[in-house]
Amino acid sequence: MKICLLSYRGNPYCGGQGIYLMYLARELVKLGHEVHTVVGPPYPFEMEGVTSHYISNHNYFNVKKNYIKPHKPFATLQPLNLYEFIASKLGIFPEIETFSFRAFLKMKEILKTHRFDVIHDNQCLGYGFLMIKLFGIPFVSTIHHPLSIDRSTWFEYPSDFNLKIKRVLYYPLIMQAFVANRLDRIITVSHDSAVEIHRAFGVPGKKISVVYNGMDSSIFYPKKNMKKKKNSIIFVGNVEDRKKGVIYLFKAMTMLKNKATLTIVDGGAPNRNFIPRLIDKFGLNDRIIFTGKITVERLIELYSQHEVAVFPSLYEGFGFPAAEAMACELPVVTTTGGALPEVVGNHMDTAYVVEPRDPEGLAGGIDYMLDNPAFARRMGQKARKRILSLFTWENAALELEKIYREVIIAHR
Amino acid sequence: MNTVPKLASVRPPIPRAKIYGILAILVSAALAALFCYAVYFLKLDIYNFEDGSLQAMHSATYYALAVPIGLVTLFVIGTGFWIGWTILTIKVVPPMPEIVDKKDHSKFKAFLLCLFTMALAGLLLYGLYLRNFWALAIPATAISLVVLGAVFWVGIAIITTRSTLPEHKKES
Repeated sequence: MKICLLSYRGNPYCGGQGIYLMYLARELVKLGHEVHTVVGPPYPFEMEGVTSHYISNHNYFNVKKNYIKPHKPFATLQPLNLYEFIASKLGIFPEIETFSFRAFLKMKEILKTHRFDVIHDNQCLGYGFLMIKLFGIPFVSTIHHPLSIDRSTWFEYPSDFNLKIKRVLYYPLIMQAFVANRLDRIITVSHDSAVEIHRAFGVPGKKISVVYNGMDSSIFYPKKNMKKKKNSIIFVGNVEDRKKGVIYLFKAMTMLKNKATLTIVDGGAPNRNFIPRLIDKFGLNDRIIFTGKITVERLIELYSQHEVAVFPSLYEGFGFPAAEAMACELPVVTTTGGALPEVVGNHMDTAYVVEPRDPEGLAGGIDYMLDNPAFARRMGQKARKRILSLFTWENAALELEKIYREVIIAHR
Repeated sequence: MNTVPKLASVRPPIPRAKIYGILAILVSAALAALFCYAVYFLKLDIYNFEDGSLQAMHSATYYALAVPIGLVTLFVIGTGFWIGWTILTIKVVPPMPEIVDKKDHSKFKAFLLCLFTMALAGLLLYGLYLRNFWALAIPATAISLVVLGAVFWVGIAIITTRSTLPEHKKES
């Protein structure tokens, strides 16, 4: 098959979308398919056997100053760029929408020399895709989870009226619901996400297929001969993302019997005053370490040096960090938020699972793991087995191949 | 003996980009001013007003203006209502008491926003029905000024953007 993957952000270090794109492209090539990617910045690394087509943007939403490029001073006055500029200044996040229109223009060019059997979008769902659909090629999209969940978890935190207005404008839910209902198939990464997509966007259940993400066991494995730091816990994720529930972890830290130290792995943190203020409030200044941006090799070392990994998420569409920690044989204390139970398995078997927003439960779980290292070690070993048996990118690619064939047949 | 002219006296030409930046500012500012002048100061010379009514205007001419302006304005007002309604009706778990610093009046403000946008929409539709000049002029002004303001902003950015490396960076 000739497959075109679309992703408005392509780099694996910019989040789950980039990881998804990289592994899927690689596995689909291994299965003998011709894979092209149409990607926005930050761009992915070069992948063997994959043809990449790049789409630029000016990132007006994040770049507040010096957005005029000296070599292209009038670019901002071009219609799509001017729209992106005005929308950004009004607090709207236009990157997704403008990517879809730019992708349409790019596809027009590409289709002069290529003919794709299927186009697969990665959580963009911009209006421009409806124009791409007019080319008559089967079009599917992966929704990792509906953004309505990000919006509602964000509203759980105190904020003023102006900030709430910005948040309502930020998430393009109307557009994504409109487009999702007009594509040939929606793919998602967990059964919980499928239910949420149906609830948020009204996509009929029969149009949604679940394909679990994979885990690269050649990268994430337990390092031998690494000494564990006593009473050490680790959290990996974006602390500014309200649905990660890091505040409940801070509260849990104040309730621990063991005086544990927490390592936070988040490339950007602490980049705003939200998290430092909370750390001050809970009196945790001497018990939290931020690593800043680190390499994957360093992350695996850190997993091996810590006793427990904690993921206090209010919601996860899949939960890559929990699966990574489990693949490294680290006992995980987490919640039943979203798809986490599907990924981590049963309570007290492959993970310690509590309800979301339950700091007492989290504290109890962390203390239990710290007090029972033999049990924690056995749990870590079972966790790795679970991840390796259920979540592989090979399986994900094979499942997707089946879905592509179904969609192509239905499209004829 | 030939004398070398002092460097300071030789003015480098203005880069083309900056010229266009200045033009963008001048043209957008002039158009904005012209628009306001035409709509708010010339009106009595252009139309035969009776309390700001456009009854004398041909129906086709009137609706050619009123329909697009009305639709765009209703879209903007509708967005305002939707924001207020979302904040007012969204159901979430209350925040952890430890992190609440001050009382949140967002729901009340959202209710006011809903009321205000509904009143505004009603006023607009009533004004369009009456063929009132202001029902067209005020939204058209707002929309035009936002677009022209953005072009003006970009123009400022173009002329204030450094097109060459600063001296200290050149040396390093």
